[in-house]
Amino acid sequence: MNIQQINLSRKLERVVLIGASGFIGATIQRQLSVQGVPTLGLTSSDVDLAGAGAVAQLATLLKPTDSVVMLAALTPDKGRDVNTLMKNLAMMQNVCAAIEKTGCKHFVYFSSDAVYDPSVSHVSEDTPASPADLYGAMHYTREIMARSRINIPVLVLRPTIVYGADDTHNSYGPNRFRRMAKKDGRITLFGEGEEIRDHIHVDDVAALTVNCLLHGRTGILNIATGISRSFREVAELVAKQFGSSIEVIATPRTNPITHRHYEVSKLIKAFPNFCFIALAEGVISTHRQTTGESV
Amino acid sequence: MTTPIIGYAGMTHLGLNSAVAAADRGFELICYDPDPLLVSALDRGELPVIEPDLPELLQKNARHIKFTVDANALTACDLVYVAPDLSTDDTGRSDLERIDALIRQVEAVLRPETVMVILSQVPPGFTRARMRPGRLLHYQVETLIFGRAMERARFPERFIVGCADPGQPLPAALAHFLGSFGCPILPMRYESAELAKISINMCLVAAVSTANTLAELCEKIGADWSEIVPALKLDKRIGQYAYLAPGLGIAGGNLERDLATVCIFADRYGTDAGVVRAWIANSRYRRDWALRTLYPEILSKLEDPVIAVLGLAYKQDTHSIKNSPSIALLEHLKQFRVRVFDPVVSAAVVPNSRCYGAISELDACDGADALVVMTPWSQFGRIDPTDIAMRLRGKVVLDPYVVLGAVACHNAGLSYFTLGAQA
Repeated sequence: MNIQQINLSRKLERVVLIGASGFIGATIQRQLSVQGVPTLGLTSSDVDLAGAGAVAQLATLLKPTDSVVMLAALTPDKGRDVNTLMKNLAMMQNVCAAIEKTGCKHFVYFSSDAVYDPSVSHVSEDTPASPADLYGAMHYTREIMARSRINIPVLVLRPTIVYGADDTHNSYGPNRFRRMAKKDGRITLFGEGEEIRDHIHVDDVAALTVNCLLHGRTGILNIATGISRSFREVAELVAKQFGSSIEVIATPRTNPITHRHYEVSKLIKAFPNFCFIALAEGVISTHRQTTGESV
Repeated sequence: MTTPIIGYAGMTHLGLNSAVAAADRGFELICYDPDPLLVSALDRGELPVIEPDLPELLQKNARHIKFTVDANALTACDLVYVAPDLSTDDTGRSDLERIDALIRQVEAVLRPETVMVILSQVPPGFTRARMRPGRLLHYQVETLIFGRAMERARFPERFIVGCADPGQPLPAALAHFLGSFGCPILPMRYESAELAKISINMCLVAAVSTANTLAELCEKIGADWSEIVPALKLDKRIGQYAYLAPGLGIAGGNLERDLATVCIFADRYGTDAGVVRAWIANSRYRRDWALRTLYPEILSKLEDPVIAVLGLAYKQDTHSIKNSPSIALLEHLKQFRVRVFDPVVSAAVVPNSRCYGAISELDACDGADALVVMTPWSQFGRIDPTDIAMRLRGKVVLDPYVVLGAVACHNAGLSYFTLGAQA
């Protein structure tokens, strides 16, 4: 599916962020506020999305002129089982039901690159979704649920590995490496850290999302830089921020090596003058933010 | 038999070039087209297409060619080719209405003994479905190449002729005409001939896709595709004429038509076309090479950059912009200032509101941050990169087809990007 642009008759009236307290949601809300866009950030303490009253509660909060960004999800660190899957789907079911009642101007669903087959090394938006686990299946199902709202323009964003100072998750990558370095004085890799991945700074994810909202983009868009680096390179970049004392340690490999590159032509076409934060620069700024140094 | 009179119906690219080649062989031609404006223009020697040697050969053979809007004039012919260009939609599907209309007009006026030959590229099954009792009907594979149409029409490698029954000898008029070119004639059943044309093009696409795939790898690992190509061409299984030049995807419409046809037939008959779909995907991917290269070097770096683009046609020596990589690139540069030049195609076709139509190659370069050579017109190769360097504001040159040359550009202090080699 190509990314397209709907005609927004006027500028953004309000953006509702469902899952606003999360790492990405909070950054998007900050950037929207800087641009003077009114926002309503909803968190799990405002609405229990899986709860019985979620639809009615959301329906009172949403307006037909809103642009809605759905980021709320129970991430794999909260569970990888069927119960988590069903809870996530119930949350989406309620969000869709509420929007069904109120309508909205533009719906942006934050999915994941977990919808792609992990063994596929070169990914574009045309790559068929083929999730390998329940988390990927959850996101793909939620994408279809979102798109089934036929009268509402929908954009699905599929971000790659996101890093930044406020990340609370501990997924393998820059965020975990930073914590390892700080806590243990060393960074332990899977194997030699040969796997290649695309790492994107959260500020870029938020900036692209804001751009998509402002331009009324629809379709599917992978959120990635187009430049992939090995986990070892990332680990060494992180280690460098702590001085020479941090050791990057390899471990015996238990899983086969997989790589992931993004073909980002669609993103370039959508935003041809967008400038990504280079990985080295992003790692430095993240380190400074977490250590309280001025950026 | 006496020398047959040859007719052509449909005076666009295929019909016109084929007719002029036939006249140059010494035959008398009656060329019909229902479009009076086109026929008047042809009578005045004004051509609707750009092809090397076509104007000269038309002028030389003018007295052997009669252009007409009257289909009844074809009654005098012993052999009539129905040869309109068939347009394709965005998915590569042919519009067959035009040729069907033309077939009906021609059939209505032909003598029973006149041979009718379908020359336009049609999907398998098309010709047999048009057989009529008492009609001598054949299909002949066209091998027109944009920019080399006259050469291909005058000196064919072979004729592939579709027949209702390939065991029967060809009708005398057709055998006489084809025999005059002195090349092998391969009669076969209609469906085989129709699929032969597609097969030829699939082999070409396979070679081009292989070249594109490996050229990209060269760009990443420090190999140089231009060093590898001679080794491949000396391999007898590949051959010296193999299509091994990397490019910006498949364009022009004809190959795309065949790719679409194979997919449509594979879907209908349940055969595997996975590799064909991969070629299509590869073609789309390579088309964006220039955009992907410009993005990190220029678009994401500079405030309001200016891009110079040389070439709009989908290839050199043609006016066609069908699926042109240049136009595709310009579609995605709409927010930027562009300066374009093409020797044949007007800048009016450019979809950008911030476009300047330059009067020359160097005029296009004036003050630009980057130069992109999107069509390998030979005249571009005569530009001195030192002059380019003096006119550009920046240093970036994208030369996918190696028109300017890496060494000359490097010597001129330019940052040079091409297909199949590292920058």
